[in-house]
Amino acid sequence: MPVPWEALIPFGLLTAMFGAAGTLANVSMRAQNQGKPPRYSVDNWDAMMMSRDKELTGHKRGQLATPVAPATFASSIKL
Amino acid sequence: MAETLSASTSTPVPHVEEVGLTSAPLKSAAFFIGAYCKEYNEDFVLCKNESRDPAHCLKEGRKVTRCAIDLITKMRENCGKQFDAHWECLERKNHEYYLCRKPERTLNSCMFDKLGLTKTIPGSPPGQTPIHEVTNPIYKAVQK
Repeated sequence: MPVPWEALIPFGLLTAMFGAAGTLANVSMRAQNQGKPPRYSVDNWDAMMMSRDKELTGHKRGQLATPVAPATFASSIKL
Repeated sequence: MAETLSASTSTPVPHVEEVGLTSAPLKSAAFFIGAYCKEYNEDFVLCKNESRDPAHCLKEGRKVTRCAIDLITKMRENCGKQFDAHWECLERKNHEYYLCRKPERTLNSCMFDKLGLTKTIPGSPPGQTPIHEVTNPIYKAVQK
């Protein structure tokens, strides 16, 4: 019995569409997180630290490992 | 707010720089800051227990900040590479210690060799291997 090759057309379409959707979602997530995987289970402490990161680096995922903060940071802390 | 501001300006407290580390490097250095700055941190908390007035503990708070900056400078001089590897791993792995044990162990051994500081988890059950030294933990990364 011959293989019904017409069935492979929707199969290929489904594979391509799921693949495109997943790839686009991944690219979009990483573009919003400076190329890093996104954070999950963000609690109050993490959110607070991320807003502090944003004040230090300008982006919530930006990271900096200099011991002393720039002088503008001391006056930019919101109380 | 006005009273605390005037109180802080009436008694001059020496100027201090702010710690410039962001969340991931801070989390990576946290246990060493705890080990290195134990006295200053305990002083600050004891002072806070005395009085919750913000102006009361400014001096102690500045000592805490200065000690943290001091440790971070030493850490970056002595174990810079291991430190960077660990915090970059944390930043990729949602800041979870248990997903970054390999770079953590190299950092821990470097910190012990160079600065004599060990990571101890406060309140962990005595007599058991602490979780960061367990070689085959139950909870680990699903993907290698």
